[in-house]
Amino acid sequence: MRTTARVTVPIVLVLSISLFLQGHNLPGGGFIGGVLTTAALVLIYVAYDLDYLESGVLGQEVESGTSIFEHRTVLAYRRTLLLGLLVVFGSGVAGFLVGDPFLTQTYVHLEGVPIYHEVELASALVFDLGVFLVVVGSLLTIVSVVSAE
Amino acid sequence: MAPDLTVVTTAVAVPFVAAVLAPLLYRVLGERTGYAGAAVAAASFGLLATQVGSHGTVRSPWIPALEVGLQFTIDGWGLLFALLASGIGVLVFVYSARYMHGESGLARYYAALLAFMGSILGVALASDLVFIFVFWELTSLSSFVLIGHYTEDAESRYSARMAMVVTVGGGLCLLAGLLVLAVAARGALGGVTFDLAAMLANDEAMRASLRESGLFVPALALVVTAAAAKSAQVPLHFWLPNAMVAPTPVSAFLHSATMVKVGVYFLGRVRPLMMSPEWVLLVATLGLLTMTVGALLAVAATDTKELLAYSTASHLGLMVAGFGFDVVYGGEAGTFHLLNHALFKAPLFLVAGIVAHEAGTRNLDNLGGLWRELPITAAITGVAALSMAGIPPFNGFYSKELLFEATYEVAHEAGGLAWLYPGVATVASVFTVVYSVKFLAMFVGERRAPIADIHRPPLALVGPPAALATAAAVVSVAPQLAVDAIVQGAVEATATGKAHLEVGLPTHFSPPVGMSAVAIVGGLATYPFTERLAAGIGRGVDAPIPVRPSGWYDCAVSTATTTSARFGPLVHNGLLRTYVFWVAAAGSVLALAGFAATAGVPELDVVGVPLAVTVVLVVAVLAGLAVVTASSHVAGVLTLAILGFMIAIFFILASAPDLALTQLVVETLVLLLFLLVLQRLPSFYADVRPLVLARDAVLSILVGAMAFASVLLTTPGPDADPSSVAEYYTAQAVPGGGGSNVVNVVLVDFRAFDTLGELLVVTVAAIAILVLVTMRIRGEEAVTEGEEEPVSDGGDLP
Repeated sequence: MRTTARVTVPIVLVLSISLFLQGHNLPGGGFIGGVLTTAALVLIYVAYDLDYLESGVLGQEVESGTSIFEHRTVLAYRRTLLLGLLVVFGSGVAGFLVGDPFLTQTYVHLEGVPIYHEVELASALVFDLGVFLVVVGSLLTIVSVVSAE
Repeated sequence: MAPDLTVVTTAVAVPFVAAVLAPLLYRVLGERTGYAGAAVAAASFGLLATQVGSHGTVRSPWIPALEVGLQFTIDGWGLLFALLASGIGVLVFVYSARYMHGESGLARYYAALLAFMGSILGVALASDLVFIFVFWELTSLSSFVLIGHYTEDAESRYSARMAMVVTVGGGLCLLAGLLVLAVAARGALGGVTFDLAAMLANDEAMRASLRESGLFVPALALVVTAAAAKSAQVPLHFWLPNAMVAPTPVSAFLHSATMVKVGVYFLGRVRPLMMSPEWVLLVATLGLLTMTVGALLAVAATDTKELLAYSTASHLGLMVAGFGFDVVYGGEAGTFHLLNHALFKAPLFLVAGIVAHEAGTRNLDNLGGLWRELPITAAITGVAALSMAGIPPFNGFYSKELLFEATYEVAHEAGGLAWLYPGVATVASVFTVVYSVKFLAMFVGERRAPIADIHRPPLALVGPPAALATAAAVVSVAPQLAVDAIVQGAVEATATGKAHLEVGLPTHFSPPVGMSAVAIVGGLATYPFTERLAAGIGRGVDAPIPVRPSGWYDCAVSTATTTSARFGPLVHNGLLRTYVFWVAAAGSVLALAGFAATAGVPELDVVGVPLAVTVVLVVAVLAGLAVVTASSHVAGVLTLAILGFMIAIFFILASAPDLALTQLVVETLVLLLFLLVLQRLPSFYADVRPLVLARDAVLSILVGAMAFASVLLTTPGPDADPSSVAEYYTAQAVPGGGGSNVVNVVLVDFRAFDTLGELLVVTVAAIAILVLVTMRIRGEEAVTEGEEEPVSDGGDLP
């Protein structure tokens, strides 16, 4: 199980990011990418445990004995959720600065970028990033808290 | 002359503003707040007095697209009522300042009284049905607070609750009736509107529209029920005598002069709109019945305020009956008596308050010969009580005579059973004379029971009833003066055709004059037998429950209480699965009922389904069956996954790759989660009880049927043309949103606001689960500390 997780999790993560990025033109998007990322992290959780992300990947000491609500990883998830909401609201409010209504989106085409030649930058991507973060944060919060029971 | 919007709005708003400020005023002024209230009432009165003679509708739009706005119609009828309310309000506030001396809770008292006065002005002047309803309910609400003024007293609380239930229940009927009228306006006025003035202007079209849709009788019944509850008509009269636990100024103001007249006022208002044979039958009969029953009960009463309460019900019946008849005299009787009744009944209540204040009792059997100590009060009572009895030349006589003329004219034209109308009216008037004399008798004759020293009442107590009695005397001497000043305008507003009111003492004999003579002579002749009569009525009232409507009320309230006490634990038992069961079942049944009532059965094109889709769906159904019958958790989870993946494949076949991708990802996540909890689940729960199994199966089928029907009925068929919205999104995705994935562009750009809402839902779900888990842990801690607290078992958590 752990071997499988070691192999699959990076692939799943890369896939989820690519799904998230291509979402504007091909099937994908913030929600799907978010759920897939969650799936990858849950896979780690099932294979190892909640602390593995911190101790194994980031190489930090883990203080044990705190309740699940104060657990550092869960706090990080909750912050992700909050950050996502902020990004979503921020992307909506940003339109005010240029005089557009709330949540107005726009896009630009950049040409001449190395490798990709032409890149489209849509402000909707920021909004989608917020969606991504909210989905990841809330799902992981739920999963970790409930499974700690 | 057109009315002035600012003046009218200010007149209505000032009492409400004062009501909000009442606690502050009380802190500054103390018991003199009553005089401040009188000033407020006088301000409203003065503002409205400037509008006398004007006629018309003014509105200030708020949401023009929905026709929502403040709208007032000024005419004689509304002004008469509003001026009465504010004028008597001035006197009642002055009286209160003295009468409520030394009482507690005065800030609340004055706030409620002021709010009440503002609501009455609102009802009288508003012509937007929504506003009328709001003000109507506000009068009930402030009346509730005022009746329950003595919050420590159980009887006071009981009576306040009873008045609230009856009048607010009537208010709900009014709401339904007003909605029916608004719907009928669609046919008559070309659009749903709440504009009562427009409805009254097009009354022919409104009646035709109501008749056409078969809603005329329901609308009539609802409006009349609402008015009957408010105006204490039989069989909903029982709350009024109970409301007499309120302080006397409240009884004089709310329960004689104003609030109970709101129903009468509204009947007069819609009379031109709803006049029809059904109206006559219902309203006139109701009014005459109440007139008689109220008079009989008043004869049997021994408490001064109780007598006046039943007498009020009886006189309200007189007004209702007047409005019930489809003759000119009827409307005249109703409008003129509204004024006359306020002028004689309010002072009588205030007199009852003085007597209770000075003599210390309200029992009529113990009171007698008070004129020696209270000469001015006795004179006031003389004018008012004789007016109440309808003795010429006092003002009550004129309006009662108009009712007699109305009944006689109706009976003369219709013949047959219609002769009951004048007969009943005369009999009721006989008893009216009896109880009027009975009330007056406490001032004349000899002392009946030893009463300690009786003080002269202070000017603030005698002044208000004296002012009202003087007004009554003026109307008695020169009735045409009052008619020309304001009553004529009110008569015109409530009449179905043209009407010109002329009143005066009769100069020659006519049948209605004979009816008056019979009533007066009969009443005086019956008076010596009052006690025997009262005993007979008492026996009737004490009969088993069916005769007493208050018994029905008690029965209904106690049944409702016990039923809800039994029903509560059934639904609200602390187990999440029970909540889920009720919510899912109720939602599904409601949705299915809605579909069954409105939608037809669409055609199902079973043959045209492609083979691949059929295969996928059949596998999905088989997997679904397998989940239910799976022997172990692992098998169940895996078969559930098959079901999920089949649905994903179905999405691919139906060319919805985004959905398919989402479904696949979610399915994977769910599978992982099951892996997480699988080892913790007990392998064996308990033997399944067949009853529980059946219940769950029924619920599952219900929810499934609801989802199936919703999808079937709400989505367009595959062959249908795409809607204009869909075409817009497809066309605009690339140029407007810069993305070729239409679904995603819709999500993050066109409908980003919806997505934002969904994200909030996800967040709320996360927070809710956090809270749930926290509370569960706390609950367990509480239990481990030794408390016997029921904790839901693990199966309830998601």
